[in-house]
Amino acid sequence: MGLRTYLLKRTINTFILVCFVITLNFFIFQLLPGTSGIIANLIQNPKVHNPDLIQKYEVLYGICQSFVNGNCVPASTWDRFSKYFVNMLTFQFGNSYHTGNSITHDMISTGRLANTLLLLGVSTTVALLIGLLLGVLTAAKRGSAFDTGSVTASLVTFSLPTFWMGLLAIFIFAQTLRWFPGGGVSPNSWISGTPPILEQIAVRTQYLFLPAAVLTLYFYGGNLLLTRATVMMELNSDYITTARAKGLPERTVLFKHALKNASLPIVTNAALAFGGLLGGAIITETIFNWDGLGFWIFASISSKDIPVMQAMFYLIALCVIAANFMSDILYGVLDPRIRYE
Amino acid sequence: MLSNRLAATGTFFLALFIFAAVAAPVLTPYSPQGTVVSGPLAAPTWVKYIYGDRGLSQNVNFADITAASVGGTTLTSSVKGVDSIDVQVSATSGGNLLVQESLNYPYTGAPNRFTGGFTVVPSGPVTNQLTNATLLVDRLDSNGQLVKQFCCLSSQKVNASTSFSQTIDSYDQSIISSLGIQGVSTPAQFIFGTPARYNYVLQITVPAGFHGEFLVSGFKLQLLGNTWGLLGTDDSGQDIFTQFVYGSRLSLYVGLVATFIGIGLGLVIGLMAGYLGKLVDETLMRFTDMMLVIPALPLLIVLSFVLGPSLNTIVLILGFLGWMGFARLIRSQVLTLRERPFIESAKASGAGTAYILTKHIFPNIIALTYVNLALSVPAAIVGEAALSFLGLGDQNQITWGRMLDLAHSAGSTTGLTWWWIVPPGIGIAVLSLSFILIGYSLDELFNPRLRRRR
Repeated sequence: MGLRTYLLKRTINTFILVCFVITLNFFIFQLLPGTSGIIANLIQNPKVHNPDLIQKYEVLYGICQSFVNGNCVPASTWDRFSKYFVNMLTFQFGNSYHTGNSITHDMISTGRLANTLLLLGVSTTVALLIGLLLGVLTAAKRGSAFDTGSVTASLVTFSLPTFWMGLLAIFIFAQTLRWFPGGGVSPNSWISGTPPILEQIAVRTQYLFLPAAVLTLYFYGGNLLLTRATVMMELNSDYITTARAKGLPERTVLFKHALKNASLPIVTNAALAFGGLLGGAIITETIFNWDGLGFWIFASISSKDIPVMQAMFYLIALCVIAANFMSDILYGVLDPRIRYE
Repeated sequence: MLSNRLAATGTFFLALFIFAAVAAPVLTPYSPQGTVVSGPLAAPTWVKYIYGDRGLSQNVNFADITAASVGGTTLTSSVKGVDSIDVQVSATSGGNLLVQESLNYPYTGAPNRFTGGFTVVPSGPVTNQLTNATLLVDRLDSNGQLVKQFCCLSSQKVNASTSFSQTIDSYDQSIISSLGIQGVSTPAQFIFGTPARYNYVLQITVPAGFHGEFLVSGFKLQLLGNTWGLLGTDDSGQDIFTQFVYGSRLSLYVGLVATFIGIGLGLVIGLMAGYLGKLVDETLMRFTDMMLVIPALPLLIVLSFVLGPSLNTIVLILGFLGWMGFARLIRSQVLTLRERPFIESAKASGAGTAYILTKHIFPNIIALTYVNLALSVPAAIVGEAALSFLGLGDQNQITWGRMLDLAHSAGSTTGLTWWWIVPPGIGIAVLSLSFILIGYSLDELFNPRLRRRR
């Protein structure tokens, strides 16, 4: 089949998935009856008063094809859908009902995107590293107390719901011990002005620590268990016995031989997990009042801000698709069997 | 073997929760919502072993109802039951009729709240006259002498020939203003702040020439303490242990039903995709890929917003989101089995598709079901809990996730209370963990690739 054909197939697949997600989005947010209909909600929203805005949205969402004497000439569903499709593909999300600003502005300029990327980036990197390292070590020491302890610890933190770990962390470390602040991205006093960069980094780290720690605790378990399973499978192979017989130090055997060969499922899984992160971060951000994309989608539900919900859901699905695609590419590049088929 | 010990632990805890779910009405006589058992945010009673006795109080009731008359009245009374007394009074000159109960309040900490009242029903001929009915509390010293009188918990003019009643609650604004402690203290703290002997008194003025016979019933004052029970109370005074035990029912229901829906769907789709050949396989797998791409929690959030939060909707959505991994697994196993000689010989003997599927293929994949079942249940439980925590779950049921949500919102003002947030989280965690442990050991048993090299 070859690498090129494989990648081509995967790209076409990705595009089909994007179309599917846009269709699903359209169905959920635009077509479902009742107060979830976009314009009905707009009219009911107490923050939106002027009819010009309503007209503007009716045109933007393609509900009205045109206006005759200020009255709406309704567009067919297919027209609406094609307009919606184009909008989504070009990332034109419209304006938030709540603030009236464009959604891309609200996402980037208010620092929400940066905040979420910071939180997720730090958590996944640390979780991946810890999971890899501990996973290899537990596979090497299979059956020992260290193995049992690590596996049990991973299973426990994996089954603990993130929001509960977050609540406990706030209760113990923020409320009782007062080591860390209980939430937020930065202190309120910074609205008037931010201190010099070194102090900024120190204080931001303080605010980042608890949410990142909670997310890391949740993610490292899955990585550890997968690494342990795949490395254990590799350690059963003959070439490992050969390597040991050759007299190679155990460290080389573990990391250079076993881990490298076992890394394929780990890497692809890590890419997949990253896709699901954004959805999972919603809860952590909500507990810690971490002003990021996850918190925004939650806040938009209470304020019935449908354009935001729609845009965020679409973005999260896109992230999952992108992560899947990344994972496919990595798989194609790393697995030599694909290349030589 | 490690997996034996893990499986045993998992099964033990699972059995514990199933027992709690089934025996809930036996384990606790209260209902999870709507029964106020004690003061708000009461700590568990065993807290006294950690903090010492200082400042902690429990629920107590006034008892020993008696009647007395003051001034120129004659009185006969007979106790009719707990909190119930029949009095016959006639007055030559004016005076007061006192119905009272007493209490020895032993705690150094004040109660959180008190509730009570009375009902008076004429039980014989009564002269038609307006009188005053007042509720008050007397604090006495060790010799029974009045130290301080707290008036008035309620005061009303009544027509003595008709029945009248009153209920009081220490939250009533009228009591706060009557005692003059607005913004300074609460009635419960102000009145019952020291351990002493107290009398709870219903005082009815008896004008000259008055006579009548009454039944005073429901005469009680209940002091709700700041500790209660095994797990304390939430911010409305409802028992947390009850909510915990009934929550296990809901969690088990959601976890098991959602998983069964998912497994059922996955089985059907996987079997069809694996066995029925190229075109069906391709279509179904494309569809599975599309479903896999949809992010679960955001979809749950959005759908519960759109469709309305109800427990069964959530269970259905969780089921419809959980079948994909299992379908893939079943499909790959069926693909392998399909090429085996025994299937070929069955086909040669003239067996139909349905027969082969049910009699040959199905028993060979059933082992995969157990593992996947055990590992999918926690996902469903935590998914529902996450949704309830965000406030999007069923508003009529108190699930563990909802308990955490209520604790979180109450805690944003007063700070988190540990006896409210720890039990539901531990419940979710231990229940998920027991399923995961069982699944993990089943996996070690059934998955040949994980066997140790000897």
